[in-house]
Amino acid sequence: METFLQAIAAGILIGGLYGLVSVGLSLIFGVLRIVNFAHGEFVMLGMYGAYVLHSALGLDPLVSLLVLGPVFFVFGALVQHLLLRRVLAAPDLAQIFLTVGLSIVLANAALLVFGADYRSVSVPYGDAYLSVGAIILPWTRIIAFAGAAILAGLLTLFLSRTDLGRTMRAAAQDREVAMLLGIDPDRVFLVAFGLGAALAAAAGVLLVTFFPVSPTAGTQFGLIAFVVVILGGLGSLGGALAAGLVVGVVESLGRFYLQGDWALTLVFSVLLLVLNLRSGRLLVR
Amino acid sequence: MRALTPRAYLPGLALLLVVAIPLVTADAVLLNILILIFLFATLGGAWNILGGYGGQLSLGHATYFGLGAYGSTLLLVDFGISPWLGALAGAAAAMALSLVLGLSCFRLRGPYFAIATIGVAEIMRLVVIDLPDVTQGARGVTLPFVGQSWALLQFRGKTEYYYLALGLMLATVAATVLVARSALGYRLRAIGQSEDAAGALGHDPAWTKQMANFVSAFFTAIAGTFYAQYFYYIEPNTVFGISLSIQIALVAIIGGVGTVWGPVLGAFILQSVAQLTQVFLGSSRFGGLQLLVYGVLLVAVILVQPRGVIGLARRVYGAACGRLPRWSRG
Repeated sequence: METFLQAIAAGILIGGLYGLVSVGLSLIFGVLRIVNFAHGEFVMLGMYGAYVLHSALGLDPLVSLLVLGPVFFVFGALVQHLLLRRVLAAPDLAQIFLTVGLSIVLANAALLVFGADYRSVSVPYGDAYLSVGAIILPWTRIIAFAGAAILAGLLTLFLSRTDLGRTMRAAAQDREVAMLLGIDPDRVFLVAFGLGAALAAAAGVLLVTFFPVSPTAGTQFGLIAFVVVILGGLGSLGGALAAGLVVGVVESLGRFYLQGDWALTLVFSVLLLVLNLRSGRLLVR
Repeated sequence: MRALTPRAYLPGLALLLVVAIPLVTADAVLLNILILIFLFATLGGAWNILGGYGGQLSLGHATYFGLGAYGSTLLLVDFGISPWLGALAGAAAAMALSLVLGLSCFRLRGPYFAIATIGVAEIMRLVVIDLPDVTQGARGVTLPFVGQSWALLQFRGKTEYYYLALGLMLATVAATVLVARSALGYRLRAIGQSEDAAGALGHDPAWTKQMANFVSAFFTAIAGTFYAQYFYYIEPNTVFGISLSIQIALVAIIGGVGTVWGPVLGAFILQSVAQLTQVFLGSSRFGGLQLLVYGVLLVAVILVQPRGVIGLARRVYGAACGRLPRWSRG
């Protein structure tokens, strides 16, 4: 029973981060109708950003977040403006493989700059943990989860309370009607992709205190984000956050009760199962 | 009196040239480069039949490749079965899995299909890692070298591998031509352009896609067996990895999807990039640089030349044919 509760708690904590990564992917899909195959690489770059600021200036990742969030927003907006804008009306092949190409470029640029070694950021509270009964929760993971929750809350406020946010939701709901109502799609797309990239990178920054970074670290988070958004419904932000927790818990239970990598096999089996169950809805694009 | 035009004699000359290369040189580096070009042309060509003509964009073709590699290798290492039979067994396994994949994923469109194929390949990779009693797990499998043997597909030099790989590539090209000219090819292209319209014409799109999937899985798996026999070592992260799946698709896309010679051209371009990055920047990180250039090429092709480099190559070829002499015969 204690193992079970421990696994659930650990799963919820990491699931919050999965949710934050996925909410960006879902936002991009909802507004641009593009699946970003480079999303995991944004997480990886966020991790390296926090690593560089920590090793060069001694900045705590939580402080770096204030710098790196805007930096990655601009980076995402640039990617949208220079690359994705040109394929928004193109066939699937161009849309899919443009972001696949981007993911290859980003992962291997990181390999050239940082090498293949794993890097980690150790913070003063790195070994501290909170014990609740028999359950042990490392503070690094609690802080990362709290950070993810706050950012998700801010995103919700932005989307529900600001004009730009409401505009984006309108564009996500029905792009054609939104454009008829005079919404400038280019601006909305720019903000959506910038926000999506910034959220993914922010998740990376929060992760780096307990998850070592390497150029291939993004692949795993990208794949898990696919599972999460398909489980939560592509384009649904609340769905992505909730499904993030579910996938985190499923993976965590798998890690506690199964040997080796069977936990990840379980996660991908969930992906295929959900894809099949939802295929009726996914047919309509 | 008919004239022998460049368009008639150039392909023959080219074929003569590639067949003659190992007869005039045993240079291992050159032959290795050409063998890798033939191998990736086979893989890109196999992907192209499903992805290029049928528009089903798989990002999990490593599934079939790995099944071919592991199928023949485990049969050889555990039971001493010849890789000739092993290749067929691996191909049969890949085709069986392609049916399962087809039944479960062909209802999905575009990016959903791509994501599903990634999921299948990742499950295969993880299962092979997590069943070390059967597969030797993440350590991979080393093939024992017993000496020159056609029966066991093992050779000291590169000449035999060269002709095997060339034959494999030409077989894939021939299969592509056959598919492209058949009714299946027309249905596939119709599906690639608009699945709803193709379905409305009364042909079952799922079955059309599955026929292409069978052919694609077959050649990809055979190439997997060839890879195992050529390198004498396989491990799950390489042969089932997402990186391989992406590279297979890249060969076809950079060369030109939905064309017979696009994947061959793509394999030639990508292998040239690989060699150049190694020659000019032979640092320990050249692997990163090579893939970085692949990524840049992919982005550039999609933005500038979405139909692939083959269009450019055709114009150059056409211009060359215009300038070359015509020989009269008869």
